[in-house]
Amino acid sequence: MDFILQQFINGVTVGGIYALIALGYTMVYGVLKLINFAHGDLCILGAFIGLTTLTSGVFGGLSTPVLLILAFLIAMIVVAVAGTLLDQFAYKPLRKAPRLSAVVSALGASMLIQNGIMLIWGPNVQVFPDNLLPNINWEIGGAHISFVQLLIIVGAFVLMAALYFFVHHTRVGTAIRATAIDQDAARLMGVNVNRVIAMVFIIGPVLGAVGGLFIGLYYRQTYFTMGWSYGLSAFIAAIIGGIGNIPGAMLGGLLLGLFNAFAAGYVSSSWQDAITFALLIAILLVRPTGLLGERVAEKV
Amino acid sequence: MDKNMNQASRATSTGTTRALRLAGPALWILGLLIPQLLSPAWITIGGIFAIYAIVALSQDIVLGRAGMYDMGHAVFFGIGAYTCAILSLSFNWPVLWTIPVAIVLAAALGAILSAPIVKLRGDYLLVVTIGFNAIFVLAMQNNLFGLTGGADGLFGVGGPTLFGQMFGTQSDLFYLNWVVLAVVLWLMGNLDRSSLGRTFRYIKHDELAATTLGVNARNYKVAAFALAAGIAGLAGTLFAMQLSAVSPGSFRFTDSVVLFAIVLVGGQASVPGVLLGTAMMFVVPQIFTEFAQYRYLAFGVAMILVMILRPQGIWPARKGII
Amino acid sequence: MNTAVSSPPSADAGSDILLELDGIGISFGGLRAVDNLSFKVRRGEIVGLIGPNGAGKTTVFNMITGVYRPTDGHIRWHGREITGLAPHRIAEAGIRRTFQTIRLFQDMTVLENVIAGQHLRMRQSWWQGLLNTPAQRREERELVERAMTVLGQLDLTDVAHEIATSLPYGAQRRVEMARTLVADPELIILDEPAAGLNEQESAGLNETIRAIRDAGVTVILVEHDMSVVMNVTDNIVVINFGKKIAEGKPAEIRSNPLVIEAYLGQDDDEDDPLMNAAQDQVNA
Repeated sequence: MDFILQQFINGVTVGGIYALIALGYTMVYGVLKLINFAHGDLCILGAFIGLTTLTSGVFGGLSTPVLLILAFLIAMIVVAVAGTLLDQFAYKPLRKAPRLSAVVSALGASMLIQNGIMLIWGPNVQVFPDNLLPNINWEIGGAHISFVQLLIIVGAFVLMAALYFFVHHTRVGTAIRATAIDQDAARLMGVNVNRVIAMVFIIGPVLGAVGGLFIGLYYRQTYFTMGWSYGLSAFIAAIIGGIGNIPGAMLGGLLLGLFNAFAAGYVSSSWQDAITFALLIAILLVRPTGLLGERVAEKV
Repeated sequence: MDKNMNQASRATSTGTTRALRLAGPALWILGLLIPQLLSPAWITIGGIFAIYAIVALSQDIVLGRAGMYDMGHAVFFGIGAYTCAILSLSFNWPVLWTIPVAIVLAAALGAILSAPIVKLRGDYLLVVTIGFNAIFVLAMQNNLFGLTGGADGLFGVGGPTLFGQMFGTQSDLFYLNWVVLAVVLWLMGNLDRSSLGRTFRYIKHDELAATTLGVNARNYKVAAFALAAGIAGLAGTLFAMQLSAVSPGSFRFTDSVVLFAIVLVGGQASVPGVLLGTAMMFVVPQIFTEFAQYRYLAFGVAMILVMILRPQGIWPARKGII
Repeated sequence: MNTAVSSPPSADAGSDILLELDGIGISFGGLRAVDNLSFKVRRGEIVGLIGPNGAGKTTVFNMITGVYRPTDGHIRWHGREITGLAPHRIAEAGIRRTFQTIRLFQDMTVLENVIAGQHLRMRQSWWQGLLNTPAQRREERELVERAMTVLGQLDLTDVAHEIATSLPYGAQRRVEMARTLVADPELIILDEPAAGLNEQESAGLNETIRAIRDAGVTVILVEHDMSVVMNVTDNIVVINFGKKIAEGKPAEIRSNPLVIEAYLGQDDDEDDPLMNAAQDQVNA
């Protein structure tokens, strides 16, 4: 029982991170039908920016909580700008082009960003300082939850709730949903589709930057290829939930996090990713459009 | 009917096509002189180029001709390489004998893996192929059945032996690779002019219309995968001999992405385009070795720019063959 | 009079029936697109399927050709069940179709498109193609010859090596038709073959359809252009909202009040001869 509860806590923590990153994939896909392969790299950029903010000494006089908040804010802003630039230069020129062109461009952007991070911060593992967060652990029913885990869980859920509210109860959110369902119809209804797309390339990266910085704080390190591996996991989460579907991304993220946590308990970690992929393949074979997946009809 | 428009859309031109058709074999023959004329480093580069050109052409069968988003193609390359290494190192097979086994095994795997997934829509198929690639790499890293050697892989694969002589020098291997490349190029040309190749293109351009003409799309898609996998497996054996070693690190997602990009940047279903793309990805960086750390940055930028500025690829396929 | 050897009349008539739709229906989500539709198509007939926009005509075609699977009812071909078979099996059975939107293969020549229609005729195996064997080359030549013959019949020889999608609309329709004819089908289904054609081209189309029938092919067509439907069909089935509302010879259909009402209920179309006929009736 303790074991299950512990794995549950671990799973929800990582799941929250996956969900935050998955939302970026799913929102871009919903609106543009494009897999933003560079998203994972943007997210880990958030970790690097956050790390630099925290360790640069420029903000030396500030107390740690304020410094942390500042790190998050700066990471969110920089990554939002990066996401916007990414769309402007790599995706926008290809709006009318065939799908494959945008896929290649996205892959190219991913390589670019990843290599750029390596050139700026170096190819080695970057370590986070260990005095940032209080080293408190709470006991719950035989399992323990650390401060950072609680921070991540609460942070992720708050952001997800905020996004859900935004998407379902505001004008802009409805515009986003409309654009995702049918871009042309939305345009005819007066939705400024370009503005919607711009929004999506801010919201997605912002959430992802938080997720990336959470990764850095949780594992106390970051590495320039982590964007690829976390991005892929989050992408799988988005597919499992049904790509394009926002609650699906949240669900998929949490499910994947839980799945990984429990699998880690029973399967050696070197096979873990294989199991994740096997799960994905199994789900897609049974439900080709994901658990909460999209319905696409083709007019003949 | 506007005569000029006719000329523009006419499928077969005369002078230029004939010239290009001769240029290909001429370049190949020139290539045979590389071991005589260039330094050892270039002999190796030439050999590597030939191997990757073969894999890229096989990727083109699935992606450029049959229109399926296969982003895990390095799997089949790896299967071929590992088959060669395992059979020759653990079971003492002569290296040449491993080649047919590698081809058949890779092709069989191509058929088996693709059969359940060819029904998936483009993006989902893409993700599943990434998954297969990742599972393969992990399996190799984890020293499956104690045969695959873990993260460091397997070492010591020799060159081919004929009449008791080992032909393992870089020059020998270069000639082997170069000849196999010629064979594969011949196959690709035949494919283009055959019903099989045409059927792949029907499926790529309009699968629904093709089925109403009697095409069993599913069978052909699996066939495309199997054929492509077999050829990639063949290249894998050459790779194992060339490097004398195999390791999981050569068959990862990044490698599949590069193959994918070669086809799209070079030109889908275009043999010269794919060869050009391969040269860009594998030969050009060798010229600028001092900029090695910028390699992927340059690739990334190149990929974006080509898609924006020349989406049909640098050397697009000729439209209409007959 | 020796009646022992002669078959009963109903069986005679039965062997004449190529295609039978028996109570077929299909729903898309909550929408009942086609409901309890039945009609028969006899060998050598030209049957027209008409109805206002959205009546479900293309859906019926899609069900016959295996693109959709009916949720109810049966489709029989020579008395055999073909309900829900995959499109390539329907093609194997000898049924070919054209598409409302013209689905020619892009980046391929007219000749390559038409050869596609002969896919089922191919005997060459995959490896023969890969190895460029003489047998394969011979078959290729035969395929090209046959395709060129059909292209000649449809006046397309000049453009055989042009990229099919670069041709004007009317020519593209003829290419699509050539692609269906080259397969020697028993039944051809034409989905709005006159769409986008001018008067002269429509008249030419009528000639073509009659020639096809004279060559022994049965035809079903969906069409809005009454100058084609009324002049070329033997039998007309009228559907509205997915249900059959009338069936009969062109003359009967023209004056059928239900049919007129169905069309009158649509938006004004001054050029529609049926509408004009209806208006005349009402004004008389």
